[in-house]
Amino acid sequence: MKYFLGILLGLPLSLMLVGLLAAALPMPWQGWLVLQLIVAIILWMLLVLLMALPAKTWPPLIALLVGNLAAWLVLQATPLYGVGA
Amino acid sequence: MKGERLRRMIDLHAWVGVASGLALFVAFFAGAINVFHHELHHWQEPHFAEQAATPMGMDRLLEQVTEQYPDARKRLYLLPDDDDPGVMWLESSRGDWVTAHATDFNAQGVHEEAPRSALADFINELHFSLGIPNPGWPINIGMTFMGLISVMYGVALFSGLLIHWPKIRKEFFALKHEGNMRRYWKNLHNVIGIISFPFHLIMSVTGAAMGMFTVVAVLLGALVFGPQLRGVITEQTEVWSAVESQGNTVIMPRMDDVLSAARNELPELTVDWLEIRGYGDAAGWIDVAGSVPGYVGHHAHVVLDPTLGPLRVIAPGQRSLNFASLSPVYSLHFGDYGGLLVKLLYFVLGLLGSLLFVSGNILWCERRSDRTGPGRSSAFLLRLTLGVCAGVVIGIAFSFLASKLLPHTPLAGLVAMAERGVFALILVLLVVWSLRASPLRFSSQMLRIAPFCYFAIPLVQTVLEGSHAWLEADNRLVNLLLLAVAACLWVVRRQFRKRIRQAEPHPLWVGNVSEGDPKHLTDTEREAGAAASNSAR
Repeated sequence: MKYFLGILLGLPLSLMLVGLLAAALPMPWQGWLVLQLIVAIILWMLLVLLMALPAKTWPPLIALLVGNLAAWLVLQATPLYGVGA
Repeated sequence: MKGERLRRMIDLHAWVGVASGLALFVAFFAGAINVFHHELHHWQEPHFAEQAATPMGMDRLLEQVTEQYPDARKRLYLLPDDDDPGVMWLESSRGDWVTAHATDFNAQGVHEEAPRSALADFINELHFSLGIPNPGWPINIGMTFMGLISVMYGVALFSGLLIHWPKIRKEFFALKHEGNMRRYWKNLHNVIGIISFPFHLIMSVTGAAMGMFTVVAVLLGALVFGPQLRGVITEQTEVWSAVESQGNTVIMPRMDDVLSAARNELPELTVDWLEIRGYGDAAGWIDVAGSVPGYVGHHAHVVLDPTLGPLRVIAPGQRSLNFASLSPVYSLHFGDYGGLLVKLLYFVLGLLGSLLFVSGNILWCERRSDRTGPGRSSAFLLRLTLGVCAGVVIGIAFSFLASKLLPHTPLAGLVAMAERGVFALILVLLVVWSLRASPLRFSSQMLRIAPFCYFAIPLVQTVLEGSHAWLEADNRLVNLLLLAVAACLWVVRRQFRKRIRQAEPHPLWVGNVSEGDPKHLTDTEREAGAAASNSAR
């Protein structure tokens, strides 16, 4: 259950973290979409791996939830959403 | 890593491994054969002593197809082949892609859909979607499922690396059992995993990227970039924009001239296929797609207008970062960047990968049984693992046999259906059988049958098609690969029997599902029982 939820919550977090990286880097995000996909996939795998390290089940799940929320909030402060090619 | 953390990492490794192991076995066994997808397409074509008259050329084929099927004018793929060129297009009345070859047209130029083997496509589907049919939904369920499996596989790889990193040197060549069967499975699993780690890492990341693409694109759009992401993806990954027809017609150039014009733009181009958008429309375009040898990301495109004016060249050194990173994703996954040697390496690593997943599942079952005592879950998984593996291996062999045998019978029209049907039937039968039989006896029987099944395929083709089975290069290669699979299965069988002779198998293998007596006795147990009863007398 813990790992299943980790897989479920790890995907949006990894994508939003890559989005934040795209916002931070001084190059158009459209130019490296494929690399973003690959980085997001590897990050997703590593997030699930991190879930296994703590002894208890709930703290890492709560951390993932909070991480998702925080990443989403920070993304709102970036001009990424709605910017076309 | 501290002991407690190491234990949790092993638990994660086992969880993701067991959850994805069987699907990965199917993907890797079918994938090892699918490395030679192009050659298999040639192999599956039946060869009759009396061959039909010389088929029409590419230009006539295009004319006939676009005349008889107006949908093909919008977008079609031409597969150049000196003997039998083919065309693929999306037929709106069927909602599916249709393939027509030059040999499918009669003397009057009318398309007569001939039943054709679809073995190569079936093996490919087994590889990327477990053969789960796609009913035309926006998301391909089988492919997305395999993408998710690839992510779990990646997690298993990273956790496996963390577990074994401290003792990696010690374990590298440690394939020993010392009277302990479980140690043998464990060492086999570790050695294969360590040796082929880079290959597996490539497969998991590229497999996940391809399989999860739709889900990731939807989520990226929803969470990060907004609804315009779709347009951006199209713009960044399509070779040229969609046709905006003004209604002006044009006489299409001869395909030989198209190929010459493309080679003029990119002399080192090796052509694989052509995509034609807007056939006969002045606003249409032709994409000559192929490879530039000598690069990992070898894919190349030369886009031409109908008057053969160059619109765009995408090739190593002349492409955007997106194209430059997309090309290696495909080529590293399919192993088509380094010629026959790399393909053979992928084939071997694919078969070894299958062994990795079987050994992983067996290890988990035995370990769980040792920890918690005999249990139905570990016995069930062991039997299911053996049943699925045997079903897939033998089922694929029977699909090959059906592909060769049926075109020579009155049931030739059912060949594509029979290839899938016989696979599904054998898989289900063997899974049911494995759940009821003693795992040890079931494995012995399957390993006795499987090598002969693969040995029979080239034999049947030789009997039916004579020397064509060995004189034609692609046929020869596929037949040699099938013999190699038979030899590998023979080696596995020999090793399996040797291990049984040298070390007593784990109780799970002899039917000890519960605390009671074994349901099925091994020869050793029977001998021990007989010796005990003799001494009692």
